[in-house]
Amino acid sequence: MSAESAHEALGPMQQIFNEFNLKPHSQGGHGEKIFEVINLEPINRFIHSLNLPIDITINKAVVMLWLSAIMAFALIYYAGHGRGPVAKGLKNAMEALFQFVKLDIIDENLGHAGKNYLPFVGGLFFFILFNNLLGLIPTGFSAGSNLSVTATLAVMVLIVILYTGMKNQGPIKYWVNLAPAGLPKPLYILMYPIEFISLLAKPFSLSVRLFANLLAGHIVIFSLLALMMLFGLWLAPVSLTIATAIYAFEIFVAFMQAYIFTILTSVYLGQALHPDH
Amino acid sequence: MEGVNLAHLGSGLAIGLGALGPGVGVGLLVGKALEGMARQPEMAGKLQVAMFIGIAIAESIALYSFVIAILLFTK
Repeated sequence: MSAESAHEALGPMQQIFNEFNLKPHSQGGHGEKIFEVINLEPINRFIHSLNLPIDITINKAVVMLWLSAIMAFALIYYAGHGRGPVAKGLKNAMEALFQFVKLDIIDENLGHAGKNYLPFVGGLFFFILFNNLLGLIPTGFSAGSNLSVTATLAVMVLIVILYTGMKNQGPIKYWVNLAPAGLPKPLYILMYPIEFISLLAKPFSLSVRLFANLLAGHIVIFSLLALMMLFGLWLAPVSLTIATAIYAFEIFVAFMQAYIFTILTSVYLGQALHPDH
Repeated sequence: MEGVNLAHLGSGLAIGLGALGPGVGVGLLVGKALEGMARQPEMAGKLQVAMFIGIAIAESIALYSFVIAILLFTK
């Protein structure tokens, strides 16, 4: 009960930020309850008792990552394996989404080489999409509102970009082509550091964009609901209406951010494939 | 206590001023894109894609200040 009263003493905004604290419950965090029902504390106590050199605590973000990976895999597998020429229902929806990824995201930017990158970019799209949507289920949690998750995805993208560039243009020529050709010679002293920094800024902005969009959306919904705690229940019609509207907007944002992440990935991949543009 | 209050003030200022520029930028971007789509409706699809990429890049600047604001707020 003492934890409850300590909880009460915090302001609504601190409580909101506490929701994103993934530490174990014993350290004041909220990381061990999935959908507020399943408690992971016994599993984590067992893991901690093993005294492993690295911390592999299973918190709700980890479970949500597993869930979204399983959902992405299962739905694509289900949509890809079946009888009959005409897809119906869920299969049709998955087909439309996958076609969107293939035609509008990959083929637009990568051209003929696109089919080699379809598994990577398509997998990324569905993984991020389901990841974002899981956070919109009440009591759910979006792992993307944690910077380490999005940073991992972005570093993965950086590695693929570097590999693609060095494989297609040659390991040294890729770094030479980083700066545009045909500039006055002294300018290159300035250009190469700038281009190198902008190369590193790509994964940074990818990860921070996804993270901040998800976190901001959740905090806005929480804050609108927290208005009721601040001013009283008579505000409920107003704040619930606006919160529902923001929730609908968040569904759009979930699709939008998955789209933005993958289309920027394929734009960067296209730059690495064809250095001219 | 004073330090905490100043951090809250700073977090408000960070997101407020940081959202100012990108807000103007996104407005200009969408306005120009709509203008282009109205003139050439057959190019609407391509313009939309380019517009969304532009919005994402402009928006990320505001989101950096949002991250700074959160860092200051939870300090």
